[in-house]
Amino acid sequence: MLAEIGLVSLALAFIAALYAIPASVMGARVERTAWVVSGRNAALLTFPLLLIAALALMAALVGEHYEIAYVWQTTNPSTPLFYRITALWGSQQGSLLFWCVIMGAFAAAALAFNWRAYQRLMPYVIAYTMATLAFFIGLTLLLENPFARYWVSLEGTLITGVIQPAGALPIAADQWVQPDGTLVFAVNAPNADAVPLMTRLGQTANGLNPLLRHFGMIIHPPMLYLGFTGMVIPFAFAMAALASGDLSTNWIKATRRWNLTAWLFLSLGLILGGRWAYDVLGWGGYWGWDPVENAAFLPWLIGTAFIHSVMIQEKRGMLKVWNMFLVIFTFSAVIFGTFATRSGLVDSVHSFAQSAIGVPMFAFWAIMTLISVGLILYRWQRGDLKDETHRTGILSRETLFVLNNVVFVALTLAIFWGSFGAPILSELFMGTDITLGVEYFNAVTPPLFLILYLLMGIAPLSAWGAMSVGRLGRALVVPAALTVACLVVMVIFGTRLPAALVGYGAVLLAGFVAIYETARGAWARRRATGEALLAASLGIFARNRRRYGGFIVHLGISVIGIGVIGSTLYQQETQRTLNVGGSLTLGDYTVRYDGLDAGQIAEDGRVMDIANLTVLRDGAEVAQIRPRHDLFPGDGAMNSMNIAGAHSTLETDVYVLLVGWDTDAAPGRESATFKVYVNPLINLVWWGGLVLILGTLISVAPQDSLPSRVRAQVTGTKRAGAAA
Amino acid sequence: MAQAAWEKPVADAPSASGRDAGKPAAAARRGERLKFLIGGLLMVGAVIFLIAQGMSAGARFFITVEETVSDPAYLGQSVRVSGAVIGETIRYDAENLIIEFEVAHVPDNIPNAGEALHQAANDPNATRMRVRVENQVKPELLQHEAQAIMTGSLDENGVFHATELNLKCPSRFIEGTVPSLGQSGT
Repeated sequence: MLAEIGLVSLALAFIAALYAIPASVMGARVERTAWVVSGRNAALLTFPLLLIAALALMAALVGEHYEIAYVWQTTNPSTPLFYRITALWGSQQGSLLFWCVIMGAFAAAALAFNWRAYQRLMPYVIAYTMATLAFFIGLTLLLENPFARYWVSLEGTLITGVIQPAGALPIAADQWVQPDGTLVFAVNAPNADAVPLMTRLGQTANGLNPLLRHFGMIIHPPMLYLGFTGMVIPFAFAMAALASGDLSTNWIKATRRWNLTAWLFLSLGLILGGRWAYDVLGWGGYWGWDPVENAAFLPWLIGTAFIHSVMIQEKRGMLKVWNMFLVIFTFSAVIFGTFATRSGLVDSVHSFAQSAIGVPMFAFWAIMTLISVGLILYRWQRGDLKDETHRTGILSRETLFVLNNVVFVALTLAIFWGSFGAPILSELFMGTDITLGVEYFNAVTPPLFLILYLLMGIAPLSAWGAMSVGRLGRALVVPAALTVACLVVMVIFGTRLPAALVGYGAVLLAGFVAIYETARGAWARRRATGEALLAASLGIFARNRRRYGGFIVHLGISVIGIGVIGSTLYQQETQRTLNVGGSLTLGDYTVRYDGLDAGQIAEDGRVMDIANLTVLRDGAEVAQIRPRHDLFPGDGAMNSMNIAGAHSTLETDVYVLLVGWDTDAAPGRESATFKVYVNPLINLVWWGGLVLILGTLISVAPQDSLPSRVRAQVTGTKRAGAAA
Repeated sequence: MAQAAWEKPVADAPSASGRDAGKPAAAARRGERLKFLIGGLLMVGAVIFLIAQGMSAGARFFITVEETVSDPAYLGQSVRVSGAVIGETIRYDAENLIIEFEVAHVPDNIPNAGEALHQAANDPNATRMRVRVENQVKPELLQHEAQAIMTGSLDENGVFHATELNLKCPSRFIEGTVPSLGQSGT
């Protein structure tokens, strides 16, 4: 029954999304409001329908309906309830459905919040969001259906199908499996060794991939999907502006929050993905320039460029065509990233299995990109996208923002080339596959990131329109002096690598500019209003959340930069086999092995072998850590995983993996082999991520357009009028 | 509301009446465009240089096991190779973190990746190559019929020294598997 509910809901959502497209566009063309409203209602209906489908699948996962192939593939009887729920996005079909639900939610929210303010744009917004949604629902329904079930053929074998194949029977209580695997039909058990088919399905079920049983991996996909699908909304508004001819800044105003919200989720998804890799993959790092990681990073990079460049259009009426291209390529990168991850195009630890959705996804990506570029060219040749201002100084903020955009785009192209361009083109045109390893990314990206950090430091100090060298230099004096002072302290304390000093210099400058500009704003407000410093500081955030939230984001990115430089350039590693009581020293830390707790059984049935270690610094015990090896029920070798033990401080992570032990020794006396990493400053990557999130939340929060005093007066007048 | 005092105002760009006084406006605009054009070209040149430098450091042929062992041109050269892991050959020295195993050539004429890996790993006539990985913890996915993607080079003794080892297990990741009723677990 759950499969039927899910299937019908999914099919109805598909029909509703398809109907909404012509209804809204035709309504706009022939100016029939009722048609547009009908299209909107159909679009709004897709979300509850998709939610019902997702809830049906979730109920099947929780209720152990192993006759549904997806449930069998992603759970088994020992899977805890929490992971049964998260299995909804644990594999291709379920995660596609989940993608659709989130997309439906974004579309419904965009329609609900923007309907009245941007009526001219809305028919086309409906058309673009529903076209994207219909495509993904179609994929889910026709090619990767999560409601496909097992059926019993007349020959007594299991076959998979979404609808009942001719002659096949649904799985029922009167079907029994003999020990030799043969299927018999009987009301009662034919013999003592026979088990009901439903029970047998549970016994043979796969269970969730152990690598996915981690907090970061549970929350990382939803965050990425929220980021990906959220980027569809700015794209839809931009295309609506092109299609409707309303090329004012309306579409930018309408999408600023959607864009920032999507960017926030994408940032969160990337940070959590890094944290998952660090905790679970056991190589002491968090970013490996894997094609799938890069596929998620590309929309973030272009989206960041877009966030900066729309400010130029708002302030100066410039870069109209450029902004359109950026929003299209952000959407394009989202669809391409989804395609690359799900099609089997690339080999990656993160990718899904090879699947039939590759060709349609590529076709959809190409068609949407071509239509969008075609619309831009149409409006451009008509002269509808002319900039309102042409003149600008070479050191003006808009010039520096353009430079920032150029570097972001260069980074995007370089990473795309390394991940996809070179391998695909070499195979197409040279008959051989050339791949670019980590060395490529390590050579290309650091100089570009360095320029970005420098621009992040300089651009906020510049002014719109024009800026003299002298004025910019004077504005830079305090942050630059603070940066130099920090670098001197670093050199005194032993940081000597030129690459590290150059990197820290750029990152610190960006961070100090963010702090300095915020402090300057607070001081200026204090002088102007006489408020206390704290009140003035809060006041500037209330007055201009976008600007000062942006500085907090910059600060977060700077903190991340410090963490990346420290953990990349100063990572230390070693491995050694230790007897109980033995120790090894790495950097400032000593790790002592105190014994092994072998064969511990966890609640979910996994068998854990846990090493007890003491971390010492300067002879003093600072922490007890317990790296372990987990073996999950089932006989597959990949049913096991290494969980690192870590002693984390803001300064350093001591990260230890238990990689082997002597199983023949007396219990508790086993020698064991450890791989140990010391990762300086790595926790700043996660803390910087939190600061970035805080800054984005401040930027995205609604801002009162009128001061509270004026608002109170207006409200009072209205009330008085109403009372009269 | 007017811009607050602590925010940067929008200033006028240098105009014909300012620094460029006396010059025709069009000439000043051309001069500015030229500056942006030169700056842009320098940027493009720098990025191309970086990409070229990166490619010379990181570009590798992605080849098959058969190509690696049969073509002497690849001997000693850093390449990326894909093969099917033969489970019974896996040896792991946990004390010194040395992994040794053999991979078999995966035929490219079988569309289903899982089936291709299965055939390759179980075909005694398939071309095989010995692999040695040092200083790496044995990955959980290193098992029979897993797809190994390795970066490294082949030595004169026919051993491939991998500096990077990535694995993918098709039996687990390929969807659409029908349960086998005769055995429990997968």
